[in-house]
Amino acid sequence: ENISDFSLNITDCTQVVVPEEVFFTVAAAGILENLLILIAVVRNKNLHLPMYFFICSLAISDMLGSLYKTLENIFIILCKVGYLTRHGDFEKKLDDAMDSMFILSLLGSIFSLLAIAADRYITIFYALRYHNIMTLRRALVILAIIWAFCAGSSIAIALFSYEAATVIPFTILFPLMMFFILCLYVHMFLLARSHAKKIASLPSSTVHHRTNTKGAITLTIFLGVFLCCWAPFVLHILLARFCPHNPYCACYMSIFHVNGTLIMCNAIINPMIFAFRSPELRSTFKKMFYCSR
Amino acid sequence: MCAMRLISNRTSQQALSNSDYTWDYEYYEYGPVSFEGLKAHKYSIVIGFWVGLAVFVIFMFFVLTLLTKTGAPHQDNAEISEKRFHMNSFVADFGKPLESERVFSHQMAEESQSLFHFCINEVDHMNKEKESQKGPSLESNTHFQEVPKSSGMFEEDLHCLTKFNIPNFVNTEQNSSLGEDDLLISEPPIIL
Repeated sequence: ENISDFSLNITDCTQVVVPEEVFFTVAAAGILENLLILIAVVRNKNLHLPMYFFICSLAISDMLGSLYKTLENIFIILCKVGYLTRHGDFEKKLDDAMDSMFILSLLGSIFSLLAIAADRYITIFYALRYHNIMTLRRALVILAIIWAFCAGSSIAIALFSYEAATVIPFTILFPLMMFFILCLYVHMFLLARSHAKKIASLPSSTVHHRTNTKGAITLTIFLGVFLCCWAPFVLHILLARFCPHNPYCACYMSIFHVNGTLIMCNAIINPMIFAFRSPELRSTFKKMFYCSR
Repeated sequence: MCAMRLISNRTSQQALSNSDYTWDYEYYEYGPVSFEGLKAHKYSIVIGFWVGLAVFVIFMFFVLTLLTKTGAPHQDNAEISEKRFHMNSFVADFGKPLESERVFSHQMAEESQSLFHFCINEVDHMNKEKESQKGPSLESNTHFQEVPKSSGMFEEDLHCLTKFNIPNFVNTEQNSSLGEDDLLISEPPIIL
Protein backbone atom coordinates (compact mmCIF):
# COMPACT_ATOMS: atom_id res chain seq x y z
CA GLU A 1 0.00 0.00 0.00
CA ASN A 2 2.96 2.28 0.40
CA ILE A 3 4.23 1.91 -3.11
CA SER A 4 1.33 3.29 -5.03
CA ASP A 5 3.14 6.56 -5.47
CA PHE A 6 6.02 5.04 -7.31
CA SER A 7 6.28 3.31 -10.58
CA LEU A 8 7.72 -0.11 -10.74
CA ASN A 9 9.57 -1.46 -13.67
CA ILE A 10 8.80 -4.82 -15.10
CA THR A 11 12.40 -5.85 -14.70
CA ASP A 12 12.19 -5.19 -11.00
CA CYS A 13 14.09 -7.41 -8.60
CA THR A 14 11.44 -9.12 -6.61
CA GLN A 15 12.10 -10.56 -3.23
CA VAL A 16 13.40 -14.08 -3.40
CA VAL A 17 11.17 -15.96 -1.04
CA VAL A 18 12.34 -19.03 0.82
CA PRO A 19 9.46 -21.40 1.57
CA GLU A 20 8.45 -21.34 5.16
CA GLU A 21 8.83 -25.09 5.50
CA VAL A 22 12.49 -24.84 4.55
CA PHE A 23 12.97 -22.01 7.00
CA PHE A 24 11.43 -23.86 9.88
CA THR A 25 13.20 -27.13 9.12
CA VAL A 26 16.60 -25.53 8.96
CA ALA A 27 15.98 -23.48 12.08
CA ALA A 28 14.66 -26.44 14.05
CA ALA A 29 17.61 -28.60 13.02
CA GLY A 30 20.03 -25.92 14.17
CA ILE A 31 18.33 -25.46 17.51
CA LEU A 32 18.13 -29.18 18.22
CA GLU A 33 21.71 -29.89 17.31
CA ASN A 34 23.11 -27.14 19.47
CA LEU A 35 20.81 -28.04 22.34
CA LEU A 36 22.16 -31.59 22.20
CA ILE A 37 25.68 -30.29 22.52
CA LEU A 38 24.78 -28.20 25.54
CA ILE A 39 23.07 -31.13 27.21
CA ALA A 40 25.99 -33.42 26.48
CA VAL A 41 28.55 -31.03 27.93
CA VAL A 42 26.45 -30.40 31.02
CA ARG A 43 25.85 -34.07 31.69
CA ASN A 44 29.35 -35.38 31.19
CA LYS A 45 31.75 -34.28 33.90
CA ASN A 46 34.73 -35.08 31.70
CA LEU A 47 33.67 -32.29 29.41
CA HIS A 48 33.82 -29.57 32.04
CA LEU A 49 36.87 -28.03 30.46
CA PRO A 50 37.56 -24.55 29.09
CA MET A 51 37.73 -25.95 25.57
CA TYR A 52 34.21 -27.33 25.76
CA PHE A 53 32.84 -24.26 27.46
CA PHE A 54 33.92 -22.21 24.49
CA ILE A 55 32.28 -24.70 22.16
CA CYS A 56 29.13 -24.39 24.26
CA SER A 57 29.28 -20.65 23.90
CA LEU A 58 29.39 -21.10 20.13
CA ALA A 59 26.45 -23.48 20.36
CA ILE A 60 24.44 -20.94 22.36
CA SER A 61 25.06 -18.18 19.86
CA ASP A 62 24.08 -20.47 16.99
CA MET A 63 20.93 -21.39 18.83
CA LEU A 64 20.07 -17.75 19.35
CA GLY A 65 20.42 -17.07 15.64
CA SER A 66 18.10 -19.90 14.67
CA LEU A 67 15.69 -19.02 17.46
CA TYR A 68 15.49 -15.48 16.23
CA LYS A 69 14.53 -16.57 12.74
CA THR A 70 11.96 -19.01 14.04
CA LEU A 71 10.35 -16.46 16.32
CA GLU A 72 10.30 -13.88 13.60
CA ASN A 73 8.56 -16.25 11.22
CA ILE A 74 6.05 -17.17 13.88
CA PHE A 75 5.27 -13.55 14.57
CA ILE A 76 4.89 -12.76 10.91
CA ILE A 77 2.49 -15.65 10.55
CA LEU A 78 0.59 -14.39 13.57
CA CYS A 79 0.48 -10.96 12.00
CA LYS A 80 -0.88 -12.35 8.79
CA VAL A 81 -3.47 -14.40 10.59
CA GLY A 82 -4.42 -11.42 12.64
CA TYR A 83 -3.57 -12.23 16.20
CA LEU A 84 -1.03 -9.44 16.40
CA THR A 85 -1.56 -5.94 15.19
CA ARG A 86 0.82 -4.57 12.67
CA HIS A 87 1.24 -1.19 14.22
CA GLY A 88 1.76 -1.01 17.87
CA ASP A 89 4.13 -0.18 20.60
CA PHE A 90 4.36 -3.70 21.90
CA GLU A 91 5.21 -5.08 18.49
CA LYS A 92 7.86 -2.45 18.00
CA LYS A 93 9.51 -3.31 21.29
CA LEU A 94 9.29 -6.98 20.47
CA ASP A 95 10.86 -6.27 17.12
CA ASP A 96 13.73 -4.36 18.70
CA ALA A 97 14.27 -7.16 21.19
CA MET A 98 14.47 -9.70 18.40
CA ASP A 99 16.85 -7.59 16.37
CA SER A 100 19.17 -7.31 19.30
CA MET A 101 18.93 -11.10 19.76
CA PHE A 102 20.10 -11.56 16.23
CA ILE A 103 23.03 -9.19 16.52
CA LEU A 104 23.87 -10.85 19.83
CA SER A 105 24.01 -14.14 17.99
CA LEU A 106 26.39 -12.79 15.36
CA LEU A 107 28.69 -11.13 17.86
CA GLY A 108 28.56 -14.18 20.10
CA SER A 109 29.55 -16.41 17.20
CA ILE A 110 32.50 -14.25 16.27
CA PHE A 111 33.80 -13.98 19.81
CA SER A 112 33.27 -17.66 20.52
CA LEU A 113 35.28 -18.58 17.45
CA LEU A 114 37.94 -16.18 18.63
CA ALA A 115 37.94 -17.76 22.08
CA ILE A 116 38.22 -21.26 20.62
CA ALA A 117 41.14 -20.20 18.42
CA ALA A 118 42.88 -18.46 21.33
CA ASP A 119 42.37 -21.48 23.55
CA ARG A 120 43.96 -23.77 20.99
CA TYR A 121 46.76 -21.28 20.50
CA ILE A 122 47.55 -21.26 24.20
CA THR A 123 47.37 -25.04 24.27
CA ILE A 124 50.05 -25.23 21.64
CA PHE A 125 52.40 -22.40 22.41
CA TYR A 126 52.11 -22.38 26.17
CA ALA A 127 51.56 -26.07 26.51
CA LEU A 128 53.30 -26.64 29.80
CA ARG A 129 51.55 -23.77 31.48
CA TYR A 130 48.19 -24.26 29.85
CA HIS A 131 46.45 -25.52 32.96
CA ASN A 132 47.68 -22.51 34.91
CA ILE A 133 46.80 -19.99 32.27
CA MET A 134 43.40 -21.33 31.29
CA THR A 135 41.72 -22.40 34.47
CA LEU A 136 38.05 -23.19 34.52
CA ARG A 137 37.28 -20.06 36.48
CA ARG A 138 39.17 -17.86 34.04
CA ALA A 139 37.36 -19.43 31.12
CA LEU A 140 34.01 -18.68 32.74
CA VAL A 141 35.08 -15.12 33.48
CA ILE A 142 36.19 -14.66 29.88
CA LEU A 143 32.86 -16.01 28.64
CA ALA A 144 30.96 -13.71 31.00
CA ILE A 145 32.88 -10.69 29.73
CA ILE A 146 32.35 -11.70 26.11
CA TRP A 147 28.61 -12.16 26.51
CA ALA A 148 28.19 -8.97 28.53
CA PHE A 149 30.00 -7.03 25.83
CA CYS A 150 27.97 -8.69 23.08
CA ALA A 151 24.69 -8.04 24.88
CA GLY A 152 25.53 -4.37 25.42
CA SER A 153 26.66 -3.90 21.83
CA SER A 154 23.69 -5.68 20.38
CA ILE A 155 21.22 -3.55 22.31
CA ALA A 156 23.09 -0.41 21.31
CA ILE A 157 23.24 -1.46 17.67
CA ALA A 158 19.58 -2.42 17.56
CA LEU A 159 18.52 0.86 19.08
CA PHE A 160 20.76 3.00 16.91
CA SER A 161 20.77 0.91 13.77
CA TYR A 162 20.07 3.86 11.55
CA GLU A 163 23.24 5.63 12.54
CA ALA A 164 26.25 5.12 10.33
CA ALA A 165 28.36 5.13 13.45
CA THR A 166 27.01 1.73 14.44
CA VAL A 167 26.95 0.12 11.04
CA ILE A 168 30.55 0.88 10.17
CA PRO A 169 32.19 -0.52 13.33
CA PHE A 170 29.94 -3.54 13.05
CA THR A 171 31.06 -4.27 9.53
CA ILE A 172 34.70 -3.57 10.30
CA LEU A 173 34.66 -5.85 13.33
CA PHE A 174 33.65 -8.80 11.19
CA PRO A 175 36.65 -9.00 8.80
CA LEU A 176 39.02 -7.87 11.52
CA MET A 177 38.09 -10.77 13.75
CA MET A 178 38.26 -13.21 10.87
CA PHE A 179 41.73 -12.01 10.01
CA PHE A 180 42.89 -12.32 13.59
CA ILE A 181 41.52 -15.84 13.88
CA LEU A 182 43.17 -16.73 10.59
CA CYS A 183 46.52 -15.47 11.89
CA LEU A 184 46.23 -17.54 15.05
CA TYR A 185 45.43 -20.68 13.13
CA VAL A 186 48.13 -20.12 10.52
CA HIS A 187 50.70 -19.72 13.26
CA MET A 188 49.60 -22.96 14.89
CA PHE A 189 49.57 -24.55 11.50
CA LEU A 190 53.16 -23.58 10.82
CA LEU A 191 54.27 -25.02 14.11
CA ALA A 192 52.47 -28.26 13.43
CA ARG A 193 54.01 -28.44 10.00
CA SER A 194 57.52 -27.93 11.26
CA HIS A 195 56.89 -30.58 13.87
CA ALA A 196 55.67 -32.96 11.22
CA LYS A 197 58.77 -32.26 9.20
CA LYS A 198 60.97 -32.98 12.18
CA ILE A 199 59.23 -36.26 12.76
CA ALA A 200 59.54 -37.15 9.13
CA SER A 201 63.22 -36.37 9.18
CA LEU A 202 63.97 -38.99 11.79
CA PRO A 203 65.86 -41.85 10.25
CA SER A 204 63.67 -44.35 12.00
CA SER A 205 60.51 -42.70 10.86
CA THR A 206 58.43 -44.36 8.23
CA VAL A 207 55.84 -41.68 8.09
CA HIS A 208 54.21 -40.88 4.80
CA HIS A 209 53.11 -37.47 3.76
CA ARG A 210 49.55 -38.10 2.89
CA THR A 211 48.26 -35.64 5.44
CA ASN A 212 49.93 -32.55 4.12
CA THR A 213 46.82 -30.97 2.73
CA LYS A 214 44.44 -32.18 5.40
CA GLY A 215 45.29 -29.33 7.74
CA ALA A 216 44.87 -26.81 4.97
CA ILE A 217 41.48 -28.28 4.09
CA THR A 218 40.32 -28.21 7.70
CA LEU A 219 41.36 -24.64 8.25
CA THR A 220 39.79 -23.56 4.97
CA ILE A 221 36.55 -25.25 5.98
CA PHE A 222 36.56 -23.52 9.38
CA LEU A 223 36.89 -20.05 8.05
CA GLY A 224 35.24 -20.58 4.69
CA VAL A 225 32.00 -21.76 6.26
CA PHE A 226 31.85 -18.83 8.62
CA LEU A 227 32.62 -16.35 5.87
CA CYS A 228 30.12 -17.79 3.40
CA CYS A 229 27.34 -17.87 5.96
CA TRP A 230 27.76 -14.46 7.57
CA ALA A 231 29.40 -12.23 4.96
CA PRO A 232 26.30 -11.99 2.73
CA PHE A 233 24.30 -10.64 5.63
CA VAL A 234 27.00 -8.15 6.64
CA LEU A 235 27.15 -6.91 3.07
CA HIS A 236 23.39 -6.57 3.15
CA ILE A 237 23.60 -4.30 6.17
CA LEU A 238 26.23 -2.17 4.48
CA LEU A 239 24.24 -1.80 1.29
CA ALA A 240 21.03 -1.08 3.16
CA ARG A 241 22.73 1.72 4.99
CA PHE A 242 24.60 3.31 2.16
CA CYS A 243 22.82 2.66 -1.11
CA PRO A 244 19.21 1.58 -0.59
CA HIS A 245 18.03 3.22 -3.79
CA ASN A 246 20.66 1.96 -6.14
CA PRO A 247 19.17 -0.73 -8.39
CA TYR A 248 22.16 -3.01 -8.06
CA CYS A 249 22.05 -2.74 -4.28
CA ALA A 250 18.32 -3.30 -4.33
CA CYS A 251 18.76 -6.48 -6.31
CA TYR A 252 21.30 -7.70 -3.82
CA MET A 253 18.97 -6.89 -0.95
CA SER A 254 16.18 -8.86 -2.58
CA ILE A 255 17.91 -12.11 -1.61
CA PHE A 256 17.71 -11.19 2.05
CA HIS A 257 15.85 -14.32 3.05
CA VAL A 258 18.41 -16.53 1.39
CA ASN A 259 21.05 -14.80 3.48
CA GLY A 260 19.00 -15.46 6.58
CA THR A 261 18.75 -19.14 5.70
CA LEU A 262 22.51 -19.25 5.22
CA ILE A 263 22.97 -17.99 8.75
CA MET A 264 20.81 -20.78 10.03
CA CYS A 265 22.79 -23.27 7.98
CA ASN A 266 25.86 -22.01 9.77
CA ALA A 267 24.21 -23.01 13.02
CA ILE A 268 23.89 -26.55 11.66
CA ILE A 269 27.40 -26.78 10.24
CA ASN A 270 29.32 -25.27 13.17
CA PRO A 271 28.69 -28.19 15.56
CA MET A 272 29.92 -30.59 12.90
CA ILE A 273 33.25 -28.89 12.47
CA PHE A 274 33.86 -28.01 16.10
CA ALA A 275 31.95 -30.10 18.55
CA PHE A 276 31.51 -33.42 16.79
CA ARG A 277 35.21 -33.72 16.10
CA SER A 278 35.81 -34.52 19.70
CA PRO A 279 35.71 -38.27 20.43
CA GLU A 280 34.67 -37.62 24.01
CA LEU A 281 31.63 -35.64 22.91
CA ARG A 282 30.69 -38.26 20.36
CA SER A 283 30.83 -41.01 22.93
CA THR A 284 28.66 -38.91 25.24
CA PHE A 285 26.07 -38.65 22.50
CA LYS A 286 26.10 -42.37 21.94
CA LYS A 287 25.59 -42.95 25.63
CA MET A 288 22.74 -40.48 25.71
CA PHE A 289 20.94 -42.10 22.83
CA TYR A 290 21.49 -45.66 23.92
CA CYS A 291 20.33 -44.89 27.42
CA SER A 292 17.17 -43.28 26.15
CA ARG A 293 16.22 -46.35 24.16
CA MET B 1 15.58 -7.93 9.90
CA CYS B 2 13.30 -5.32 11.26
CA ALA B 3 16.07 -2.87 11.98
CA MET B 4 16.33 -2.46 8.26
CA ARG B 5 12.78 -1.31 8.15
CA LEU B 6 13.67 1.68 10.24
CA ILE B 7 16.01 2.69 7.47
CA SER B 8 13.48 2.15 4.75
CA ASN B 9 10.87 4.01 6.77
CA ARG B 10 13.13 6.99 7.06
CA THR B 11 13.91 7.08 3.38
CA SER B 12 10.34 6.58 2.33
CA GLN B 13 9.20 9.21 4.76
CA GLN B 14 10.08 11.79 2.21
CA ALA B 15 7.20 10.58 0.14
CA LEU B 16 4.82 9.36 2.80
CA SER B 17 3.24 11.53 5.36
CA ASN B 18 2.76 8.89 8.01
CA SER B 19 5.48 6.52 9.03
CA ASP B 20 3.79 3.28 9.72
CA TYR B 21 5.73 0.75 11.63
CA THR B 22 4.52 -2.25 9.76
CA TRP B 23 5.52 -5.78 10.33
CA ASP B 24 5.71 -7.25 6.94
CA TYR B 25 7.46 -10.13 5.32
CA GLU B 26 8.47 -7.75 2.57
CA TYR B 27 11.21 -5.74 4.08
CA TYR B 28 11.76 -3.35 1.31
CA GLU B 29 9.59 -1.37 -0.97
CA TYR B 30 11.41 -1.03 -4.18
CA GLY B 31 9.31 1.87 -5.26
CA PRO B 32 11.93 4.57 -5.36
CA VAL B 33 14.28 2.38 -7.31
CA SER B 34 14.28 2.70 -11.05
CA PHE B 35 15.65 -0.12 -13.06
CA GLU B 36 16.00 1.67 -16.31
CA GLY B 37 19.25 2.03 -18.12
CA LEU B 38 21.26 -0.51 -16.22
CA LYS B 39 24.62 -1.02 -17.82
CA ALA B 40 25.43 -4.31 -16.16
CA HIS B 41 23.29 -7.24 -15.23
CA LYS B 42 20.94 -6.37 -12.38
CA TYR B 43 22.28 -9.14 -10.16
CA SER B 44 25.86 -8.10 -10.74
CA ILE B 45 26.54 -7.35 -7.08
CA VAL B 46 25.23 -10.76 -6.07
CA ILE B 47 27.28 -12.57 -8.67
CA GLY B 48 30.37 -10.45 -8.05
CA PHE B 49 30.14 -10.97 -4.32
CA TRP B 50 29.83 -14.74 -4.48
CA VAL B 51 32.52 -15.10 -7.10
CA GLY B 52 34.82 -12.90 -5.03
CA LEU B 53 34.11 -14.93 -1.91
CA ALA B 54 34.78 -18.21 -3.71
CA VAL B 55 38.01 -16.87 -5.16
CA PHE B 56 39.12 -15.69 -1.73
CA VAL B 57 38.42 -19.04 -0.08
CA ILE B 58 40.21 -20.94 -2.83
CA PHE B 59 43.13 -18.53 -2.63
CA MET B 60 43.32 -19.05 1.11
CA PHE B 61 43.28 -22.80 0.57
CA PHE B 62 46.13 -22.64 -1.92
CA VAL B 63 48.19 -20.42 0.32
CA LEU B 64 47.74 -22.86 3.19
CA THR B 65 48.57 -25.82 0.96
CA LEU B 66 51.70 -24.08 -0.24
CA LEU B 67 52.72 -23.57 3.35
CA THR B 68 52.67 -27.32 3.81
CA LYS B 69 54.56 -28.07 0.65
CA THR B 70 57.67 -25.97 1.13
CA GLY B 71 60.65 -28.12 1.93
CA ALA B 72 61.17 -31.84 1.60
CA PRO B 73 62.04 -33.93 4.63
CA HIS B 74 65.75 -33.86 5.30
CA GLN B 75 67.60 -36.96 6.28
CA ASP B 76 70.49 -35.00 7.61
CA ASN B 77 70.21 -34.78 11.37
CA ALA B 78 72.61 -31.92 11.55
CA GLU B 79 69.98 -29.79 9.93
CA ILE B 80 67.64 -30.19 12.84
CA SER B 81 69.20 -27.29 14.67
CA GLU B 82 68.92 -25.25 11.53
CA LYS B 83 65.24 -26.05 11.38
CA ARG B 84 64.89 -24.95 14.94
CA PHE B 85 66.38 -21.65 13.89
CA HIS B 86 63.85 -21.40 11.08
CA MET B 87 61.05 -22.19 13.46
CA ASN B 88 62.20 -19.46 15.77
CA SER B 89 62.43 -17.02 12.92
CA PHE B 90 58.85 -17.93 11.95
CA VAL B 91 57.87 -17.25 15.50
CA ALA B 92 59.70 -13.95 15.48
CA ASP B 93 58.19 -13.00 12.13
CA PHE B 94 54.73 -13.41 13.49
CA GLY B 95 55.52 -10.86 16.07
CA LYS B 96 55.30 -13.21 18.96
CA PRO B 97 58.35 -12.60 21.10
CA LEU B 98 60.46 -15.56 21.95
CA GLU B 99 58.79 -15.44 25.26
CA SER B 100 57.84 -19.04 25.10
CA GLU B 101 61.48 -19.89 24.73
CA ARG B 102 62.35 -17.88 27.77
CA VAL B 103 59.49 -19.41 29.62
CA PHE B 104 60.52 -22.82 28.59
CA SER B 105 64.15 -22.32 29.40
CA HIS B 106 63.07 -21.18 32.83
CA GLN B 107 60.94 -24.20 33.17
CA MET B 108 63.69 -26.27 31.75
CA ALA B 109 65.77 -25.49 34.76
CA GLU B 110 62.99 -26.76 36.95
CA GLU B 111 61.85 -29.67 34.93
CA SER B 112 64.94 -30.58 33.04
CA GLN B 113 65.02 -34.06 34.36
CA SER B 114 61.43 -34.78 33.46
CA LEU B 115 61.89 -33.28 30.03
CA PHE B 116 64.88 -35.45 29.50
CA HIS B 117 62.61 -38.36 30.19
CA PHE B 118 60.12 -36.94 27.73
CA CYS B 119 62.78 -36.89 25.13
CA ILE B 120 63.83 -40.43 25.37
CA ASN B 121 60.69 -42.22 26.30
CA GLU B 122 57.74 -43.08 24.17
CA VAL B 123 54.48 -41.26 24.46
CA ASP B 124 52.93 -43.50 27.09
CA HIS B 125 55.90 -43.14 29.32
CA MET B 126 55.79 -39.45 28.71
CA ASN B 127 52.23 -39.30 29.86
CA LYS B 128 52.93 -41.18 33.02
CA GLU B 129 55.72 -38.80 33.87
CA LYS B 130 53.44 -35.90 33.26
CA GLU B 131 50.75 -37.45 35.35
CA SER B 132 53.05 -37.88 38.26
CA GLN B 133 54.19 -34.29 37.92
CA LYS B 134 50.87 -32.74 37.46
CA GLY B 135 48.89 -35.08 39.67
CA PRO B 136 48.00 -32.53 42.31
CA SER B 137 46.91 -29.97 39.80
CA LEU B 138 44.62 -32.26 37.89
CA GLU B 139 41.01 -32.42 38.69
CA SER B 140 40.39 -35.90 37.53
CA ASN B 141 42.04 -38.77 35.75
CA THR B 142 40.39 -37.96 32.52
CA HIS B 143 41.76 -34.46 32.83
CA PHE B 144 45.08 -36.08 32.33
CA GLN B 145 43.95 -37.47 29.05
CA GLU B 146 43.13 -34.00 28.01
CA VAL B 147 46.59 -32.77 28.89
CA PRO B 148 48.07 -31.56 25.66
CA LYS B 149 49.77 -34.65 24.46
CA SER B 150 50.43 -34.02 20.85
CA SER B 151 50.61 -30.27 21.19
CA GLY B 152 52.74 -30.45 24.30
CA MET B 153 54.94 -32.75 22.40
CA PHE B 154 55.57 -30.05 19.84
CA GLU B 155 57.10 -27.78 22.42
CA GLU B 156 58.87 -30.51 24.24
CA ASP B 157 60.34 -31.93 21.10
CA LEU B 158 61.54 -28.55 20.02
CA HIS B 159 63.17 -27.82 23.30
CA CYS B 160 64.50 -31.26 23.71
CA LEU B 161 66.36 -30.61 20.54
CA THR B 162 67.59 -27.27 21.70
CA LYS B 163 68.61 -28.21 25.18
CA PHE B 164 69.65 -31.78 24.97
CA ASN B 165 70.87 -32.05 21.45
CA ILE B 166 69.39 -35.46 20.98
CA PRO B 167 68.68 -35.68 17.30
CA ASN B 168 67.78 -39.32 17.52
CA PHE B 169 65.37 -39.24 20.39
CA VAL B 170 63.33 -42.35 20.31
CA ASN B 171 60.14 -40.47 20.16
CA THR B 172 58.77 -42.25 17.23
CA GLU B 173 55.40 -40.63 17.28
CA GLN B 174 54.60 -41.73 13.81
CA ASN B 175 51.00 -40.93 14.17
CA SER B 176 51.89 -37.51 15.42
CA SER B 177 52.21 -36.53 11.80
CA LEU B 178 48.49 -36.37 12.22
CA GLY B 179 49.27 -33.73 14.84
CA GLU B 180 49.06 -31.17 12.14
CA ASP B 181 45.45 -32.09 11.66
CA ASP B 182 44.68 -32.84 15.27
CA LEU B 183 45.13 -29.35 16.42
CA LEU B 184 42.88 -28.07 13.74
CA ILE B 185 40.32 -30.80 13.57
CA SER B 186 39.67 -31.43 17.19
CA GLU B 187 41.02 -30.10 20.38
CA PRO B 188 44.79 -30.35 20.42
CA PRO B 189 45.14 -32.62 23.40
CA ILE B 190 43.70 -35.70 21.78
CA ILE B 191 45.65 -37.65 19.26
CA LEU B 192 43.15 -39.00 16.80
